[in-house]
Amino acid sequence: MSRVSTRRTVRTSGLLALFTACAFAAPPSTGVGTRPPTANAAPCEACHGASGQGAPPAAIPRLAGQSADYLEKQLRDYENGSRENPVMRNFARGLRDSERAQLASYYASLWAPHAPPVVPDNALKVDPQQLVRGRQLATEGAESERVQACDNCHGPEGSGLPHSAPYLAGQSVEYLESQLKAWQQGTRKNDAGKQMVSVAEQLNSADVTAVSAYFASLDAGQGKELATPVP
Amino acid sequence: MAQRLSEVDVVVIGVGMVGSIVAKELAAAGHKVVGLERGQARFTVPEFQSPAIHDELRFDVRKALMQDNTREPVTFRNHGSQTALPIRRWESFLPGTGLGGSMVHWNGQTYRFQANDFELATRTRERYGKNFLDPDLTIQDWGVTYHELEPHYDRFEYLLGTSGKAGNIKGKIQPGGDPHESPRSREYPTPPMKEHFQGAMFRKAASQLGYHPFPQPSSNMSQPYTNPEGVKLNTCVFCGFCERYACEHYAKAVPQTVILPVLLANPNFELRTGCQVQRINLDSTKGRATGVTYIDAAGREFEQPASLVITSSFALNNVRMLLLSGIGTPYDPSTRRGTVGRNYAYQTTSGVASFFDADVIVNPFMASGASGTLINDFAGDNFDHSGLGFVGGAFIGAVNTNGRPIGYHPTPPGTPSWGKGWKEAVVKHYNHTVMIGVHGSSVSQRQNYLDLDPTYRDAWGQPLLRMTFDFPQNDLKMSEHVTAKAVEIGKAMGAKQVAGSPRKGPYTTQQYQTTHNTGGAVMGSDPSTSVVNRYLQSWDVPNVFVIGASAYPQNASWNPTGTLGALTYWAIDALKNKYLKNPGPLVST
Repeated sequence: MSRVSTRRTVRTSGLLALFTACAFAAPPSTGVGTRPPTANAAPCEACHGASGQGAPPAAIPRLAGQSADYLEKQLRDYENGSRENPVMRNFARGLRDSERAQLASYYASLWAPHAPPVVPDNALKVDPQQLVRGRQLATEGAESERVQACDNCHGPEGSGLPHSAPYLAGQSVEYLESQLKAWQQGTRKNDAGKQMVSVAEQLNSADVTAVSAYFASLDAGQGKELATPVP
Repeated sequence: MAQRLSEVDVVVIGVGMVGSIVAKELAAAGHKVVGLERGQARFTVPEFQSPAIHDELRFDVRKALMQDNTREPVTFRNHGSQTALPIRRWESFLPGTGLGGSMVHWNGQTYRFQANDFELATRTRERYGKNFLDPDLTIQDWGVTYHELEPHYDRFEYLLGTSGKAGNIKGKIQPGGDPHESPRSREYPTPPMKEHFQGAMFRKAASQLGYHPFPQPSSNMSQPYTNPEGVKLNTCVFCGFCERYACEHYAKAVPQTVILPVLLANPNFELRTGCQVQRINLDSTKGRATGVTYIDAAGREFEQPASLVITSSFALNNVRMLLLSGIGTPYDPSTRRGTVGRNYAYQTTSGVASFFDADVIVNPFMASGASGTLINDFAGDNFDHSGLGFVGGAFIGAVNTNGRPIGYHPTPPGTPSWGKGWKEAVVKHYNHTVMIGVHGSSVSQRQNYLDLDPTYRDAWGQPLLRMTFDFPQNDLKMSEHVTAKAVEIGKAMGAKQVAGSPRKGPYTTQQYQTTHNTGGAVMGSDPSTSVVNRYLQSWDVPNVFVIGASAYPQNASWNPTGTLGALTYWAIDALKNKYLKNPGPLVST
């Protein structure tokens, strides 16, 4: 069986995905956020995009519409080292509490349309069987590995359960894989009860790719509505 | 005509917590074991996964995990002069069914009883005099001591990974734990759960009043834990869906998360689900069991011969199985003769609702089945009962387990029970109320017992179990005394309104209280007042062991599961090291 790229297995066809990606190559007009008055989002935009859409090839996550509490905690955790990332640590450690809160709520308020990544054909090769496996792990779990469903905490179809569980739908394969590996390797250890460590250590590399590919295949727009932070 | 199957060494009736542990130990020792479970096989994945497992209507209101009472209810009456009727809707107590048993829907509250509890009759007479007890009370010693059970409590807690703080290690009082507890050999396997806000408020007030608050021992995990069987549990996420539900996170210690993976991997063990055991078969002398007869889900009848029969199917069903099989003499309250069904007891619970102003936000939904804070200052015999006219006591605690939307809506006394006024009160008080639980002991007395119903039968044509029970005056007095102490704590917490509701009779099956049904096949050292000996072996049929809370001669102030686990390992120790080496009575009569 031939291996196909993720783009052709997502619900939108490859052609539509390509069209969408081109259509929003320019900064989107749908961003609704108000830029924080004091905190400066420009350094964030350099990597995470003008509307927080992320940069898949560099495993840089989407921030748009993510839970504000979650984002604020990540900024603290980059600074205290419980989430290791040299670049983010540099940005995070200069921030005041008020700036962290403003940046977090700014990105929570943004929306970026979902644009499956345009990548070289030799990247992101995913077998459709892997997506089936990924969906199983995400929605049902696997008794033989003693892994519970991701959706228990991350919400229906990975749409997020604010305040603490981020949405996963529409994040890139690269980003999700990098994080599961970070949990496995101990470079990310900022979950309250080691839930993510417990889950990640049960997954082999094929399962890591499978579940990442599944969430990457979902429309982040679905996450938008369900992941709106509770007032 | 039953189809006769080939003989096995051991048949286990009911594959819940007790059945899983016994089967695992005996299969590992090389014995061929068949486990007969009337319900379905079920596992964390896929059966316990969300969002389906958080369906409050299905699990909380309609009791999806419970014994099917359209086929197999229990009949109930308060007094022997009444006609018992079947309980068609479980409310007061919730016996489970299916692989893993009732433990699947437990809260994980994992206590030990105190040394005093196992010698209650003797020690009460010693401390308060011979005439202290009401002559109708039938409390008695267990025939086993705390000291003998301690290693087995320890083993059970380490199987479950129980989270807690020891209060007494080998006689040395430990700060932060319960100073009243009987000595334990070592610390809990995992540290205490995070304390919820209600627990913190309670702890502060209880300390100010001079009491000794400590964290509730929990078999929902405070951190990842791998037990001695090599099975791993995850950390609890405090979702507040423990009791009446199964856990989707591998975070609650239940057979599926602590022992079934090991048991099911052993080729010496065979699990058969959908098997309704009709009776334990006896030989012509009635002194030896030959196996069991069961009906499978397709309605076929089988005879499963076995050298050893273990009944481990919840206290109530253990008693019924003995009665259906003609093992032992049924108890007769008028003559006080016979033992099977005697000394049925329960738990005497009450509550104190403490209502605060809107600025005190408790977030009741952020809870686990066991993450509260409590005191044992009024439990058991930890206070002087002279002149009080009762034995026993209760723990008092802010032990809230959930804030689920259908089931949890505290309102002050006088609130309308429906309509606009009720809705407004629910909105006003939901997030600003602390429910203080009072969890009390239950004495056995002459009039409370279990037997077979003369009228009603189950779906297979067998007589139902009949429960005759009302609260003894002893326990109502206890509840009034200890609930008043809980009211004082509620006031000390700063509540604007404190509503204490001591338990009142008559007992009703229409209000949820607890699934701590005990007794009916009690253990002891005298065959005229006990069904099983100190090793849980039937006095009458020595190759039948009856393991369950059915063995408790009366119930103590705490949830019974920890003690049941200890008794299970205690009985296994006797089975492996005594009985199976030389089958026969382990205690001579």
